[in-house]
Amino acid sequence: MDISDILDSVTSTSNRADPFSSSPTSTPSGQALLQSLTRAYINERSSPSLLPWPANNLIPHISALIKSQIDAVELLTGDMDPRSNFALIIIQTELERWKFLLRGLLRARLSKIDRFAAFYLSEAESEEGRMSEDERAYALRHQALLKAHYDASFLGAFPANLRGLSDTAGGISMIEGPDAEKGVFARAIQDEVMFEAMGRESDGLVEMKRGEVVVARWKDVEEGVGNGELELV
Amino acid sequence: MALPLPPGLTPMEVAFFCEMEMITVVPRQRLESLELLGGPTPVLKPPQRANLPLWLALLLKRQRRANILPPPWLLPTSLERILRYETETSPNAFSPPPPHPYAVTARQAPTDTISPPFLPSSTDDAPPDCLPYHWLELGEILLEACSDDITDPGHVRTLLRDLREVRMAKMRASTKDFDAEGGGVNSLVGVGAMEVAEGRQFILGVMDGLRKLGASKEAARREQEAGGEGGDLSEDDEMEM
Repeated sequence: MDISDILDSVTSTSNRADPFSSSPTSTPSGQALLQSLTRAYINERSSPSLLPWPANNLIPHISALIKSQIDAVELLTGDMDPRSNFALIIIQTELERWKFLLRGLLRARLSKIDRFAAFYLSEAESEEGRMSEDERAYALRHQALLKAHYDASFLGAFPANLRGLSDTAGGISMIEGPDAEKGVFARAIQDEVMFEAMGRESDGLVEMKRGEVVVARWKDVEEGVGNGELELV
Repeated sequence: MALPLPPGLTPMEVAFFCEMEMITVVPRQRLESLELLGGPTPVLKPPQRANLPLWLALLLKRQRRANILPPPWLLPTSLERILRYETETSPNAFSPPPPHPYAVTARQAPTDTISPPFLPSSTDDAPPDCLPYHWLELGEILLEACSDDITDPGHVRTLLRDLREVRMAKMRASTKDFDAEGGGVNSLVGVGAMEVAEGRQFILGVMDGLRKLGASKEAARREQEAGGEGGDLSEDDEMEM
């Protein structure tokens, strides 16, 4: 820290400064985590297929943060004086908002895993890291239960060669996956984002300015979303 | 356990994200800084203005601990100007969104990729002539929660409704030229969050419907362009129908 930083901190904290501004060099600030969590939530809710498990330990990190805040709230509830009461309401409201986001993100992932469990399990080798350990265990168990249920209720009565759940006879795979060509709304978060787009009448290179929103096919923008050039809205 | 909501953000979720927008308040009571998960809040000292996330501002407003300063674009004169722009100057495209407050420089900064709702587009120093991404929700929430802080709330309400009508018509019309620009990508510069949420089912429905109808034609065209290389691919595409 040099003298200009000190001067800055004196002049800029006159209450008008962005309260959530963070220095870019330090470990991810609360605000940066919130932005990552929000982006992960919106992307996951809008994309047709399951996105890779958030990088940089985002989820464990946020879970730990929420847990420590809950502990802090419990400490505060101990000394209930009316003035700190309102502060407590604010802290708890914020806590609930974070919990909502985290829960929503995980549940949105679960609903995709529920729907296409067999698909995500079958592509496991090539797409390592799409599911977390827990999610993989969940998907396996889900699929095992489903198989047992089908076997017990009707598959058991079929001839042995018709009992498979993953046949690819006739060129059609029995395992249904998400529709990769489904349309999505995507926004560029970097300047001059380019991607190859497949259209009905013509294919072409699309260039986007920062902040621009387009309707495109998921398959075409998936890579951009993965490497942080685009986000879904 | 799985989320029962359909894919794509619902209007409720959009409103939730809108509540993360920064807004300027004039506190009426002192409040010390609080250590929130998202960072410490500023110390509130009346009558010094402070920027807070909307959810917190609403909480303070409801308890009469602060007044909310409506963003400059929510004034009747600004809205009238924007409406005139939407109807007369550019009857086919949305009015431009506010410029990104953090310019792209050669040095990469974490602020480069910040997007709404984390851009300060509704504080008291926001540009008055552009509708930010969360304009509709923010306007409605403020009219609901603090109509006493807004100049001429009745007129503002009418203007917001007019803007919404004009822009929804543009949104629907945008499905007509899905393939105009090549690549089947349709650009919607300046669109709002709630408009995306409302138009999503319709627009994506049209898009997916057209795609499925033209799947075999599209595959044939691509095959022709690739010189007959994509034989397997076209078969797959037809199977999807």
